[in-house]
Amino acid sequence: MSCISPQETYCEEIFVDGVEVLTEKQYWAKEPKYKGMIPLNLLRRMSKSVRMGVGTGMPLIKKYNDIDGIIIGSANGSIKKSISFLNQIVEYDEGTLTPTDFVQSTSNSIAGTLALLGKIRGYNNTHVNNGIAFESAVLDALLLFEEGEAKRLLLGGVEEISQANYNVDVLRGMFKKEDVDSTNLLFSGTQGTVSGEGASMFIVDSEKSVDSFAKIVDVNQVCFPSKEEVVERAIAFLENNNLSPDDIDGLFLGYNGDNRTDFYYDFLQNQLFQDKALFVFKNLVADFYTVSSFAMWLVASLFNGKNLPKETILRNTNKKINRVLIYNHYEGTQHGFILMERP
Amino acid sequence: MENKALKEKLKKQIIEYLNLIDVEPDDLQDDSPLFGPEGDLGLDSIDSVELLVLLEREYGLKITDPKEGRKVLEDINAMTDYIVTNAENY
Repeated sequence: MSCISPQETYCEEIFVDGVEVLTEKQYWAKEPKYKGMIPLNLLRRMSKSVRMGVGTGMPLIKKYNDIDGIIIGSANGSIKKSISFLNQIVEYDEGTLTPTDFVQSTSNSIAGTLALLGKIRGYNNTHVNNGIAFESAVLDALLLFEEGEAKRLLLGGVEEISQANYNVDVLRGMFKKEDVDSTNLLFSGTQGTVSGEGASMFIVDSEKSVDSFAKIVDVNQVCFPSKEEVVERAIAFLENNNLSPDDIDGLFLGYNGDNRTDFYYDFLQNQLFQDKALFVFKNLVADFYTVSSFAMWLVASLFNGKNLPKETILRNTNKKINRVLIYNHYEGTQHGFILMERP
Repeated sequence: MENKALKEKLKKQIIEYLNLIDVEPDDLQDDSPLFGPEGDLGLDSIDSVELLVLLEREYGLKITDPKEGRKVLEDINAMTDYIVTNAENY
């Protein structure tokens, strides 16, 4: 797996210098030097999301053989290029348009570029359904495995900040008006959150191997539920996997510091997981549509023997974490559950 | 405008339109081929379309004949000559 985020995560030894405190209202991804990794004549045309997607995906493609397909979750894709392309249509009165912005303006340009560079000619799909785009990508992968259509897939979630979209989202109250640094974000008690971006990629196999260090057991999603319905859905989801809340060791919650919608997390953990370890992640990378892919990367890192930074631990039970439920929602509308365990 | 100043402006526009990384205007030689194995920029067919868009937007010149386009985009000198000969404003 591989991760580019607003923290130093594109390395083997993660968080050795702790977590960086972020003070801006947008948490920008720390991109690596792509020179040498991506041919320069391709790199200069890539949007940020494609760069991050290729930067995280290609090392995995080079390392692992026999990848049957690529599944990406990216609600906005190369949104900056899309907006640039649309603006050009207006600015130049529907005249001649530059091909680069057009090529990069589709959401599936990340998966497409990875397929071309990695010569992976099999299944290629991009899920764009906003706050559950990554959960849908996970579901897609699980279904392919279940049907025996694939044995190994590249699975990922990618999102870039677009200034144009950010400005619109500010106007509709999505983001905080006041300055809040990342240490105080989650419990700021005010409206709105901060905007983030990043890319997390995983090689997922249908069968356990000696290299496996985490298992994605199941995924579930629901739209526009009440907090009671979220609890009901969590119970049903666990029951469907022959589990109860008591079987969960750790809960990864998508608190984002927005006092209008964080009650979902409070209610779920108070109803079902009062004595369980609690983890958070948006104080590291802020909020974006496919942020649950970062949560999955954190869980997989934990299962792979890495120590998670203290900033992610909301409640420690000093018990080994063998099974985790990730629960995240976007603006209180789209809610996703991902169940993971040690293999 | 002197051809020298036009060439300088054109080189900056080429770098901007093609998003050439780590390339300065001085790195573009006036008589070095922009395309092909002899050129050191590694430009390809998508870049040629970008350059045609540049000529249309910045200088009001529309090239529809591929043969003419190939000649005009040969190097900086050829592009400059074409602009000086055909553009109303540059």
